[in-house]
Amino acid sequence: MQIAVKNISKDFGKKRSAVHAIKDISLEVEHGEFLGIMGPSGAGKTTLLNMISTNERPDHGQIIIDGLDLTQLHDREQAKYRRNKMGFIYQSFELLDSLNVKENVILPLALNRSNKKLIEERFDYMMNLLNIEGLSHRAVDELSLGQRQIVAAARALINRPEILFADEPTGSLDSKSATILLNYMQMINQKEKTTILMATHDSFTASYCSRVVFIKDGVVFSEVINPGNRDKFFEQIINMQRTIGGGDYFNVSKNY
Amino acid sequence: MYRKIIRRSLSNMRDSYLIYILACSFAIGIFGILESMGDNPSLHFALHMWDSFISDVTSIMSGLFAFCAFVYMIYVGGFFIKQQRNEFLTFEKLGMQRWVIVMISFLQTIIVQALAWLIGMVLMLIFQKFMGMLLFYLMRVRFNFEMHVSLTNLWFLIQVFLVSTLILSIVNAIKTIRILQKKKRRIIIKTRWWLRIPAGIFGFVLLLSAQFCTAMLFKDIRMLGYSSKPLTEVFYIMTADIFGTYLVYFGFLPFVLNILERVHSLSYSGVNIFSFKYMKDRLFQNISILWFVTELSALALALLTFCYFGYQAVHQNYNNAYPFELAANKDTVRVIKDELKKTDSKVKGTYKTPVKINLVSYYSKNTQSYIRQPMTFMSYSDYMSLPKRMHKGNAKINSHQYLKIDYSSSTFRYDSEPDEHNIQVKNSPMIQTARTGSSFPYGSSMHFGPMMIVPDKYYTKMPAEVEDTFYGWDFKKGDRLSRGQLKRLNSYRDAYFMKVDFKSSLSKSSIEVMKKEPHKYEDTYTQAGFLRQGSIKKRFKQGGGFYLFIVALFSVALLVALGSVLTLRVLLRDDYQSRQLRTLQKIGVEESEIKGIIRRENTLTFVIPIIFALVQSYAAIAMFDVGRHISKNIILIYGGYVILYGLFGIISYQVSWRSVKQKFSL
Repeated sequence: MQIAVKNISKDFGKKRSAVHAIKDISLEVEHGEFLGIMGPSGAGKTTLLNMISTNERPDHGQIIIDGLDLTQLHDREQAKYRRNKMGFIYQSFELLDSLNVKENVILPLALNRSNKKLIEERFDYMMNLLNIEGLSHRAVDELSLGQRQIVAAARALINRPEILFADEPTGSLDSKSATILLNYMQMINQKEKTTILMATHDSFTASYCSRVVFIKDGVVFSEVINPGNRDKFFEQIINMQRTIGGGDYFNVSKNY
Repeated sequence: MYRKIIRRSLSNMRDSYLIYILACSFAIGIFGILESMGDNPSLHFALHMWDSFISDVTSIMSGLFAFCAFVYMIYVGGFFIKQQRNEFLTFEKLGMQRWVIVMISFLQTIIVQALAWLIGMVLMLIFQKFMGMLLFYLMRVRFNFEMHVSLTNLWFLIQVFLVSTLILSIVNAIKTIRILQKKKRRIIIKTRWWLRIPAGIFGFVLLLSAQFCTAMLFKDIRMLGYSSKPLTEVFYIMTADIFGTYLVYFGFLPFVLNILERVHSLSYSGVNIFSFKYMKDRLFQNISILWFVTELSALALALLTFCYFGYQAVHQNYNNAYPFELAANKDTVRVIKDELKKTDSKVKGTYKTPVKINLVSYYSKNTQSYIRQPMTFMSYSDYMSLPKRMHKGNAKINSHQYLKIDYSSSTFRYDSEPDEHNIQVKNSPMIQTARTGSSFPYGSSMHFGPMMIVPDKYYTKMPAEVEDTFYGWDFKKGDRLSRGQLKRLNSYRDAYFMKVDFKSSLSKSSIEVMKKEPHKYEDTYTQAGFLRQGSIKKRFKQGGGFYLFIVALFSVALLVALGSVLTLRVLLRDDYQSRQLRTLQKIGVEESEIKGIIRRENTLTFVIPIIFALVQSYAAIAMFDVGRHISKNIILIYGGYVILYGLFGIISYQVSWRSVKQKFSL
């Protein structure tokens, strides 16, 4: 077991009007697992992901990764841990406009003050792996949305993170670009044995995972494990979504 | 709804607005104080000897101050409208009518201005008495300054508020209309390296040449009286500094950052990969403002330099003219002593020095002609036994050297005249070399011509055409001579007259002493009977205090304006720039590293202008300080300015980091 989330909770807002975003959630993630976190909007998916990735602190509970309780670490140590062991893909890409593609991709290595040779080697490897060699010197403004998300993925993976966090990675992409990205993520999960935690509300995206946890109103509602057949797994996810009222095959509510 | 929009906009940019409002309030407060001070009855009563001078100067200064503050408000007020560009464009997209958006910006400006005026007026009421007391203290007037704001003043301030607020609101409304018309979200800055690199290098060369020229000016300024070269140099330095600085900001600094960025071993290390580009971006955006601040800082430093040396020159002149509170010669000493006995004056010190008057001839370099005239001689021991202030402004001599004290040809040319040679003295050995000075013992008005300090032996042996003795007194709290006594003493102003009969040689020439005023003044010199500081001292001290008050006020105001402009520029980042810092935090950059980027940005924004301003103001020192060295006081003045400026830098850094951190928690 790589990640153990124990009884974490998080509230937003002031005392009287406080919103309980996460209520006493516990979760375990194995090494090399591709975990999906699903749920309707406002269920607490992003908050949970942010807390596991140390971008936010839980009000209560523990987050233990590789035996280390991250909630006990100082902000500075958390940032260091985040930088060395984790990678991030966001719906809004979070690329730096002032840097070109190459500079964006190598940013995590540069931040770690890696030597130039290693930076160039890893950059070439990632560009090859994700098949985006031609984009190296392009400005971020010049890329399509799909290309931006692949570049964001390259940045997330360049320093061989042990855990990759993806928050609605296909949210801004069309279906073709989404499929390409998800295939890459699956390939990385299998090839590099990277643990992936992905928050999504899209059943098709979730069907690439090995396990999907469903969250509703800040608590774990249920989970579905990939039986080895993606179509069957997809059906199971849709059914679970129907149960919790998150949508059906076409992302349309059952009562429609 | 609209009220809510305005309230939210004000709240979102509260840090920036607070700085702007405080800077405006300070300006309004000072303006109000200057304006009301002119009409203050206690000022008129305490300083009646200045007639309407003080109120005239405060009125002119308040006008000048109001104009500068208004320009500042128009310029800086525009920052906030620019910052709301995206918001205004979104309102329009959502279907809000243009005139409503324009009205929102118009009302927002009115609210901010009203708030600034309200705080400014309160500041004026609170600090008027304090400032008045400060003015009295600096002018050394013992009088209670009463707080007073007349209805006329109040009505005038209200009128200024109404008119200025209306104009500012209209200007901001026009700026909003222009934003809505242009609709460009992000202006992409063209790098145009083909233009920037040569321009930057040319600017750098211009600045270097200006420095070289400044070094030459230190030497050439002495020729100012008879050559146009120093003026040409000053003109060149000013032009080269102004244009050179802009070109260096335009091309050279981005070029250096660009090179650093391309050195991968440096730029691919830590946050440099981001910060070099980020700073280059910010530099491109702020070139004009940095240049503007640099030139204004240089102007402020040059003004301070000018004020310092101006004050020094006046002070030196005053000290040269009136070193003792009361001075007399042997003919008037008894009368003066008698009059002093009738007063309750407390004598602090009495001095007495015998002098000899003899005829001399020498070649004057200044007038480029031979001069023959009577000269007063004093022995070295007598000269050295006088208070230090008498010889502080002159060249230092030892007991074997000669010192010629003469009237300075220029106000700024103290302590700088070259040595003089071959001075012939009647029936005495020729003086080969004499050091020079312009600080007369007993005051310049006591002497009809130059004075010579000679070694004791020389003095004892030399014959004299006329022998005299000078007396000087220092008092505790003035000589207390009444008007009646002064009237009586008026007839003793001239002690005697010396008619010189010049012949073919000095030894044949002679001096005839006359007690009565001659009908013809040809070749006749007058020896003053007595000299008194009296009201001149009072006027000098009060004038100096008033001058210090105004200069200090303007310097602080200029500093506040420049500091707040830079702080607001640092603070008001574009949305995408703030987003980038947030992204860095998201992908694991430590807060301390992001803080480092903010620190670097602040350092770049604050340090560059002050360095360039200091380099430029060095030329101002060259223009006035002809003493071959930079005096300690000017270093202190500059140091004080830099420290106050640095405080703004630190505040700016703290506020800037606070605003970035606020966005991190969103």
